[in-house]
Amino acid sequence: MMTYIDYKTVVPRVAIALGVFLFLMMPVFTQNQATLSVFILIGLWAIAAMGFTLVLRTGQFSLGQSAFLAIGGYTSAILTVNLEWPFWPSFLMAGLISGMVALLVGMVVLRVGGIYFSIITLALGEIIRIIANQWEGVTRGARGLITSPPPTLSMGFFEINFNAGPIPYFYFTYCLVAVTAVIFWQIGESRLGRSFAGIALNPVLAEHQGIHLMKYRVIAFTLAGVFTGFAGCLYAHFLTVITPFVFGLWQSIQVMIMSIVGGISALVGGPIIGTFLLYFLGEYLTRLGGAGIQPLLFGAVVVLVLLFLPKGTGLIDLWGKFWTKVVWREKEFEFDEVEE
Amino acid sequence: MPPAGIWIDGLIQSCIYMTMAFGMVLVFSILGILNWAHGQFYMLGALIVYYTITAAGIPFPLSILITGIIIAGLGILVKKIIIDHIEGDLYVGVATISLIFFFEGGASVLFGIEDKGLSIVLPGVLTLGPISLSYQKLAVIIFTLMVMTAMYFVLNRTKVGLAIKATAQQPDAASLYGISVERLSLIVMGIGCALAAMAGGIMAPVYPISPFMGGIPMIMSLLAIVIGGIGSLTGAIIGGIILGFLNSVIAYYLSYLSEVVLFLLVIFILLVRPQGLFGASLK
Repeated sequence: MMTYIDYKTVVPRVAIALGVFLFLMMPVFTQNQATLSVFILIGLWAIAAMGFTLVLRTGQFSLGQSAFLAIGGYTSAILTVNLEWPFWPSFLMAGLISGMVALLVGMVVLRVGGIYFSIITLALGEIIRIIANQWEGVTRGARGLITSPPPTLSMGFFEINFNAGPIPYFYFTYCLVAVTAVIFWQIGESRLGRSFAGIALNPVLAEHQGIHLMKYRVIAFTLAGVFTGFAGCLYAHFLTVITPFVFGLWQSIQVMIMSIVGGISALVGGPIIGTFLLYFLGEYLTRLGGAGIQPLLFGAVVVLVLLFLPKGTGLIDLWGKFWTKVVWREKEFEFDEVEE
Repeated sequence: MPPAGIWIDGLIQSCIYMTMAFGMVLVFSILGILNWAHGQFYMLGALIVYYTITAAGIPFPLSILITGIIIAGLGILVKKIIIDHIEGDLYVGVATISLIFFFEGGASVLFGIEDKGLSIVLPGVLTLGPISLSYQKLAVIIFTLMVMTAMYFVLNRTKVGLAIKATAQQPDAASLYGISVERLSLIVMGIGCALAAMAGGIMAPVYPISPFMGGIPMIMSLLAIVIGGIGSLTGAIIGGIILGFLNSVIAYYLSYLSEVVLFLLVIFILLVRPQGLFGASLK
């Protein structure tokens, strides 16, 4: 039997693969600490944005995703600094505890859903931030906990030294991004992902089809919590300090905007693209200088994206349109006009 | 028992949260969206009052009226240019959230980020036995009473008010009776934004003015709406009063942890009674 290779699906995929490959070769081209740090932070925020998108898939709008970054970061920092645990167990504990908190909060809060869920998660984020700021004995308050980098890993013929520079962090971060992306992508393709979409589209119908609403909402929220917790742990150990000021309502809103501008039709691609573009925009605008220019233009860009790419078709949908319209020059299928 | 100053402070705060929450609920009941940038209209109102008084020398009451009119126009522009052209409640919400940054950034670029004070307006203190109340705070209380009475009469005695109530209950039926829902939503957006701006203007002498002053009143009035029940005007007023007093009284005992207590209280109320204390009487 002949197998056709449909070049229209292969070529975009090859383009994406090439882009990812070139991106992962980045440390070969540049050893610049500042550039690599920006990419590491982008990776961490992208994980948080993917978590947000997974929760949004079930129709719930979480305004407290940065709380899980904070929980992960503080768990790991407290375990390594105050209790002197080694890095790797506390890394796992960061994800575990963050997931536990998400599970408990989700089991209580997702019952109400909708706008109430948004407001409760907003309150949760603020509570975590205030506690981190006030509990001087454990979190050292506003001065922050000083964390140490992960220990050197030696694998016989070569060793990974996290003290040397940002390159090991770069690969570690993007391993984590890749694991998160693969897991979320597989969830999106599986029965679980279709259940999420069904719940978001029509909760009543989904419940009548035998989909337990609470169960799937809690699963999505917990998964998002676990991976955001891992990202938070890495965040704390990469910056070597964790203060309450990096996690607040503004950061949660940033995660939300990154995810929505990127496009929520794709669980993985949208948040990653959105994080990349908006983080670069933010960094660039910060260098323009002048207080206030950055939020002004940031807000304007987001509003423009929402105005010109309606109904949640974020930037990721432009990718498909780019190939069909610009490269292959296909005509879009149009419905016949109904004459009245 | 906290001293009288704490109670007066609570009263001032509840006046502000009440006025802002009222405007937000009004907008929500007609447009069906939460305007997350409401606190920024409050901030712009305070800044405009500051500049009309210090730069143009316009008297205080007049400058508050002018502010209300300007910000009502701005709110109508936001509705016409942005809200009307975005589909889906979720995306409108995101757009208004990003307007927060737009307005805060714009205000910092135009007016600078340093704190400004307007304590020259209405100096003097009213002393009633053990209680002393500055005229600035008295003005806030009188203003809120006036606005609430005016809103009560507008909503219950005028044609526009009845149209607003009818549209909130049943938009399709209201438009069948010849009410232009489109024009009404513009009017409501104007009223809501003007209320926030005038609240900011009347508060300008009491608190320092900066481009970032709108965040906390915004969150507090959001919580007030949630406590009172989204869509209920009475709920917004009662929620504002509860939050204003609780915020200052708990802060007297617990200082910084008061916000944690407030948030926990709101979470508790939502879990026990998700529709809020006053259900959804208007919508």
